[in-house]
Amino acid sequence: MPHTLEPRLAAYIAGKLSAASDVTVTALERISGGASRETYRFVLGWTESGQARSRKLILRRDPPASLIDTERRVEFEAYRAFAGTSVPVPEMLWLEEGDGPLDHPFFVAEEIAGYQASPQMLLSGAFDAVLPKVAAAKWSILGEIAKADPAPLRQWMDAPSLDGCWQRELDHWEALIDKDQAEPLPVTRAAIRWLRANPPPPAQKLSIVHGDYRTGNFLFDPAGEIHGILDWEMSHLGDPLEDLGWSLQPVWSFGHTGKAGGLCSQEEAVAIWERASGLMADPAALHWWTLFNCVKGQGIWVGSAAAFNRGGNRAPIMIYPAWWLINAQDRAMLQLMGKL
Amino acid sequence: MNPPVVSVLAELAGLLMKNAAPDVPPAERASDLGLSAALLGVAAEMWDRQAHILVEENRAIRGLLGEAGEDADLRLSVLKAENDRLRAALIQAQAAAEAAGDVARQDAIWAELVASTARRKLSTAPV
Repeated sequence: MPHTLEPRLAAYIAGKLSAASDVTVTALERISGGASRETYRFVLGWTESGQARSRKLILRRDPPASLIDTERRVEFEAYRAFAGTSVPVPEMLWLEEGDGPLDHPFFVAEEIAGYQASPQMLLSGAFDAVLPKVAAAKWSILGEIAKADPAPLRQWMDAPSLDGCWQRELDHWEALIDKDQAEPLPVTRAAIRWLRANPPPPAQKLSIVHGDYRTGNFLFDPAGEIHGILDWEMSHLGDPLEDLGWSLQPVWSFGHTGKAGGLCSQEEAVAIWERASGLMADPAALHWWTLFNCVKGQGIWVGSAAAFNRGGNRAPIMIYPAWWLINAQDRAMLQLMGKL
Repeated sequence: MNPPVVSVLAELAGLLMKNAAPDVPPAERASDLGLSAALLGVAAEMWDRQAHILVEENRAIRGLLGEAGEDADLRLSVLKAENDRLRAALIQAQAAAEAAGDVARQDAIWAELVASTARRKLSTAPV
């Protein structure tokens, strides 16, 4: 049975393709996961200059309530900022910020088909021979993101001062925890007090921060090449060490203790990033940003639970991160604070 | 556990009913059932030990706060409400110990916080 979104999406796209006729949307199916956006793949068909054409595309639509509340315009523009660069991203096609066409805002993008994103698959043992290559690509690309000129995105994203990056982020995530926590979080609160008492130095430069750069948010192939960097919905301008710290925070080792992102040692990851970015990762500053990212993670997990508890989104994807990660995130903080 | 196990189980029951219908798209059914199975596994793991964890933790925190008393009502909702009250008080106690430079008290509180995360640790947890 065709998905109910297919004719509505076809009508929307037909309005965007003035030279096309017989526009169809088929094989629309929801992709597993997607706690912050509903993600669907589909096949677009159309006729142009007498020829039948088709293309595999992705629809990213806002859910009724999200694990994180972000602007789809920001995500859309972040992808576009890296089009045609050494940072592999899918082509962005159309952004709709109104509720009319599909009930919630959405965008349509190219599907980078034929590759995998699953961290469980990557770290299953089957890819062990290429993990060093994945690690080299992963942190080289992150270095390229850190190095990039943020100017094109200033139109869409606030630009904090170099010495204000840390405070803006910590204020933001602490406020979300204040709003969303359903139970006291002593470890997280202790980490926040420590972060405020020991602020990092000013950022070396203002960078585009991906915001969720981790194993699981890139597309890889069996040879260890990375073909797409995904999930830019938390992107913003800030300290480049923020992304590096997120990539190193312990929950993203997926149980492969001591391995950054489950892939290589932290020292190797940092060295790759420094070579690619031309920036320095001061150990004390990086420690601050890694611990901060544990607080940020906790903000996301309790926010996910809050969205479920308030009834805004009762999907199981909202429960699993909270159950699986709230205590693990506390343990990651204890580890980084030298208590575990 | 946050969200509470009871409300999650009720939601999963409804979700399984929905997925019993023949017209659910296969990819959505696979996603719903896979995640539901994972959540049921977590609930099963916590079922037997949840009350013990809360009683043990409440006793330890009362000791740190110098409070007398024991948990008399062993319903999980009651134990959890008391746990929330005690952990909120523990946050205040730890902040006060930091402000006072009371290292011994800080160490005792850290030891309990480490123990609490060990009690709550899931077998599949990444840390």
